[in-house]
Amino acid sequence: MIASAEVVTVPNAQVDPHGEAGHAETGINTALLGMLLFIGSELMFFAGLFAAYFNSRAAAPQWPPEGVDFINAAPLPLIVTGILVTSSFTMQWAVWRIRKGDRAGMNRAIVVTLVLGIVFLFLQVYDYNELVTEHGFGINSGIYGTLFYTLTGFHGAHVFGGVVGMSVVLLRGLSGQFSARHHVAVEAVSAYWHFVDVVWIGLFTTIYLLK
Amino acid sequence: MATTTLAPRTAVYGRSRVYEWLTTTDHKKIGVLYITTAFGFFILGGIMALLIRTQLAVPGLDFVDAATYNQLFTMHGTTMIFFFVMPMTTGLANYIVPLQIGAADMAFPRINALSYWMVPLSGLLLYSGYAFGGAANAGWTGYAPLSGVSGGRLFEGVGIDLWIAGLVLVGTSSILGAINFIATIFKMRAPGLTLMRMPLFVWNTLVTSVLLLFAVPVLTAGFVMLFIDRHYGGGFFDPALGGNPVLWQHVFWFFGHPEVYILILPAFGIVTEILPVFSRKPLFGYKAFVFATASIGALGFSVWAHHMFTTGAVFLPFFSFFTFLIAVPTGIKFFNWLGTMWGGQLRFSTPLLFALGFISLFLIGGLDGAFLAVVPFDFHVQDTYWVVSHLHYVLVAGSVFGIFAALYYWFPKITGRMLHEGLGKVHWLGMFVGTNLAFFPQHLLGLDGMPRRIVHYADNPGWGPLNFLSTVGAFTIAASILPFLWNVVISLRKAPDAGDDPWDGNTLEWATTSPPPAYNFDSLPPVRSERPLFDLKHGAVAAHAVAIPAAAGETHEETRADAPEEMLGEPIEGHEAGQIAAEAQPGVSEAAPDATPHDARPKADDEPTPRRRKSDK
Amino acid sequence: MLAAPANTQLREFFRTLLGYLTRLTSRRVLWSALLAGALGAVALVLAACAGTGQNVTNITNPNPVSWFPPVPVTEQGDQVTGIYPLIFAVAVAVFVLVEGLLVIIALRFRRRSSDPDLPAQMHGNNLLEVTWTLIPALIVAFLFWQTVDRLAKIQHLSDSPPAVVVEVTGFQWQWTFDYPNQGALSFTGSGTTGPEMVVPASEPIRIRLHSRDVIHSFYVPLFNYKLDVIPGRTNEFEITIDEPGTYGGQCAEFCGLSHADMFFTVRAVARAEFDQWVTEQQAAASQTPAPLPSGGQTLTLNAVSVTAFDPATLTAKAGQPIVFDFHNLDTTNPHNVAIENATPEGAWVGTPIANPGQTASYSTPPLQAGTYTYFCAVHPTTMRGTLTVQP
Repeated sequence: MIASAEVVTVPNAQVDPHGEAGHAETGINTALLGMLLFIGSELMFFAGLFAAYFNSRAAAPQWPPEGVDFINAAPLPLIVTGILVTSSFTMQWAVWRIRKGDRAGMNRAIVVTLVLGIVFLFLQVYDYNELVTEHGFGINSGIYGTLFYTLTGFHGAHVFGGVVGMSVVLLRGLSGQFSARHHVAVEAVSAYWHFVDVVWIGLFTTIYLLK
Repeated sequence: MATTTLAPRTAVYGRSRVYEWLTTTDHKKIGVLYITTAFGFFILGGIMALLIRTQLAVPGLDFVDAATYNQLFTMHGTTMIFFFVMPMTTGLANYIVPLQIGAADMAFPRINALSYWMVPLSGLLLYSGYAFGGAANAGWTGYAPLSGVSGGRLFEGVGIDLWIAGLVLVGTSSILGAINFIATIFKMRAPGLTLMRMPLFVWNTLVTSVLLLFAVPVLTAGFVMLFIDRHYGGGFFDPALGGNPVLWQHVFWFFGHPEVYILILPAFGIVTEILPVFSRKPLFGYKAFVFATASIGALGFSVWAHHMFTTGAVFLPFFSFFTFLIAVPTGIKFFNWLGTMWGGQLRFSTPLLFALGFISLFLIGGLDGAFLAVVPFDFHVQDTYWVVSHLHYVLVAGSVFGIFAALYYWFPKITGRMLHEGLGKVHWLGMFVGTNLAFFPQHLLGLDGMPRRIVHYADNPGWGPLNFLSTVGAFTIAASILPFLWNVVISLRKAPDAGDDPWDGNTLEWATTSPPPAYNFDSLPPVRSERPLFDLKHGAVAAHAVAIPAAAGETHEETRADAPEEMLGEPIEGHEAGQIAAEAQPGVSEAAPDATPHDARPKADDEPTPRRRKSDK
Repeated sequence: MLAAPANTQLREFFRTLLGYLTRLTSRRVLWSALLAGALGAVALVLAACAGTGQNVTNITNPNPVSWFPPVPVTEQGDQVTGIYPLIFAVAVAVFVLVEGLLVIIALRFRRRSSDPDLPAQMHGNNLLEVTWTLIPALIVAFLFWQTVDRLAKIQHLSDSPPAVVVEVTGFQWQWTFDYPNQGALSFTGSGTTGPEMVVPASEPIRIRLHSRDVIHSFYVPLFNYKLDVIPGRTNEFEITIDEPGTYGGQCAEFCGLSHADMFFTVRAVARAEFDQWVTEQQAAASQTPAPLPSGGQTLTLNAVSVTAFDPATLTAKAGQPIVFDFHNLDTTNPHNVAIENATPEGAWVGTPIANPGQTASYSTPPLQAGTYTYFCAVHPTTMRGTLTVQP
């Protein structure tokens, strides 16, 4: 047992004069790392859903099955893809602005992204409504319907999460909480928003292009 | 190393103990919460095991009916895996990892607290099935369509829904924990603590966390699909709607196989911590250990369908190949463990006994797995008691032995008190004998064709006696827990007697008080190898492979204590406070882990000639 | 800051209680008591439920227990007995090596009072580490090659199906065996015996597996083989049974409540005997059923699901046959009705079994007054009702 009751100085001991132990100064910001890891886990969640899609597709005698030819890329899915991709650019613009210390520019860009995100959600709901009322196509319309609504539905839920995150960031931005050196929340939300966009591109390609 | 003794028991703020524990974000308290909660579930799951084994003790018994039995084995498996082993290892890692890397806490303390509190809540959800007409009863693997819908027909009731909800919640807790550990390990290591100097327990926690991060979300996706099938007319697993029951198995086992590595890697890490300390030698082949751990983690994602060989829906050679391959890094670990102990000076304290029990018995579980990789053999024993035997050897002889080794090893650090060695040895003996009695006969039962998950069995020759033996083993394991519990009670009641470093450890957690202060460390020793505390205590000898004689002025009788018991709480003879510190020449080079023995240490005139062992090259 | 007085008092109380308990008993007494208690509990529990042992009778392996799989009766099963001794030998060798080393280490490297402060601090040895990586890799490579080779032989299917193809349908919790090439013979099991599959020995037979509901598994230990029965998928395999005999099988994939009671048997006979059996079965199937006795009482009974009759209670008069107007309203499972202790020999079972959606007419012998249990012979533990026979 080495402990003693006296105070003994240890040569070469690492003392922490500025109280920075545990606070990383180098490398990626810890909170951003946490968000990236979280995004990794969310990617795996979607991977599970995509695996279900491809497994069902491989096992089915015909894909898409009979009677779902109304599932088309045009016009609505293409439009919402354009909206979401644009919103990724505007989100990134917000990040670039705040890196330069331009708070007002960041706030404006986030507002645009937020609006685009909300429009995306509305258009998705509109699309769902059309599919259900005009084509009787629901989550219980066989494996294809189940997959369609589960994949796009969970994606929409994640868009909603991003909208909530952006709202928080916007409120904080409007109250002046970000600067060129301290804006990790903006970077984190931006990373999440890009993830949501990438998943949509994968979804769009799989459901509407690859078929 | 010398530390300043502050006043560690000064109560801060004015909050009550209860409020403190309910709202704490301190990784040490959260670790204790995880450990005690997990132990509670261990008791629950263990009682279920005893009920199962009682029912199976003789052929054709009617102790519980089929409906109850099906709930029992489902809840036993789910409890032990998700509510005992995982929270227990998370709790141990929560307590120890920040200490071992010299950090003040985890990266995200509040998320850490949230992760903990999700565990009792999800346990409540899971067990509430009993209050609503029956707990989950489709096996811990919950195969569809039995757990879901087929031909439009829902087979099992609300217990399954509560099982889904509970597991999604506890899974989320694990994902958040994984994020926390990865961020902590990458971002908060002490200066000098490079990745290749991290303790193996930290490495294993890192790989486990990566596995959790990538595997659990897939399980969540599976549960989402199952729930949609059950309640929203979904067709994922219902062939009548174009779905595929085998899809469930793919999704489940894509999670399920990494899950078994999630369950065992922490135990590997614990054993790898204990062996060097109790052999008084460094780890043999540190780099190989890291490589093997990472390989097991990566390969773990490639073998999932070996649980599905009999579905007729799997490309068999691929999965058989990777299953065989994963035996190689596991074998490396075994030999490196043996190499660590070879030429050492073993102190047979309880932690080492459990580590040795782990090595000797996990071997059996591992060899069983190699049998199962031979697909024609798997066709015969899949879904029989061979598999039950294999999984219990790796989980009980593996994870549970590892967990108890950790509890005996780190109890002094957490509580400041040593556990009684005699009671520990009684516990160990009971568990060692009980584990073999309970699970070895099950190999023979499986070989003979006894299927698993059956409430009763016919009187095939030999099945009755073997099952009875297995039941006796299960009760022996249960009985052995009693001396452990008693040990904890009496040890907690005595005055603190452990000190900072009761085991003469190598890693940073032993460089602070027991228990540590809230901020963990007054100051850290310099970190120049994977054994910073050893370097501090033994100075320049760390780089040398020569047997080290007694320090100047000591006789050999004074150098060491005679029996392990006397080690407990007693200072290690020859290490006066301040003496090592004053002499510390932390000159261990980066090349040390691979260094061949050399003789560069200067000898003082009055030191006896070092004794060379035949094993030195 | 001090804790509230109530907390302190409570803590003091427990401390005193604990101290009292530990002073009261010596450690040895405590352990003996615990051990005795544990063993006593076992004995008590086991005594309390001395088994009736009557619900399960199917022996799937009449051989004594062994360290080896049962000697298979099929050609394909020989692939398992071919490889098993090899893996077993490797496993034993590794076990002896590792455990042996452990024992040597434990004995030779105990810390002794004559030891120096520290042993030689070896960090590794590249040659050793490479060796113990390569040798296991070679061993597993060999086992993998054997695996793939033998697998191909087990899974082989003839180019054209053999003469005898048995379509097996598994459902909660019985089996149906259909012989499409032998005049559409069909057998559905009842009770724990399950159905018997009669097949010719010494020639390839193909077995095709279908499920009506959940996943089951077709397992015959003496074949050293099983294959899952999956809804929406037809699995099939071919075997050649070398030895005539009766071989027990049971479901090996957990399928719900009565999974443990889902047995069947496979009886392999010489070709000539099989042909004769086919002729006999075809004759029995084409017989017109006996006319129903007149003057009997008619009861309407519906089978609703695998767990319910409707109604669940019935009354009848003694001394007259009962005619059941039986409707199988279950859309997925076959059912029938049977009555426990209806005859001196045991139960009366209504035949034939009604498939989903079918109706059937069953006539019982006259019954004496009393209370009887009626049940579905296909699901005897889960479908039960009470029949009161009045004088």
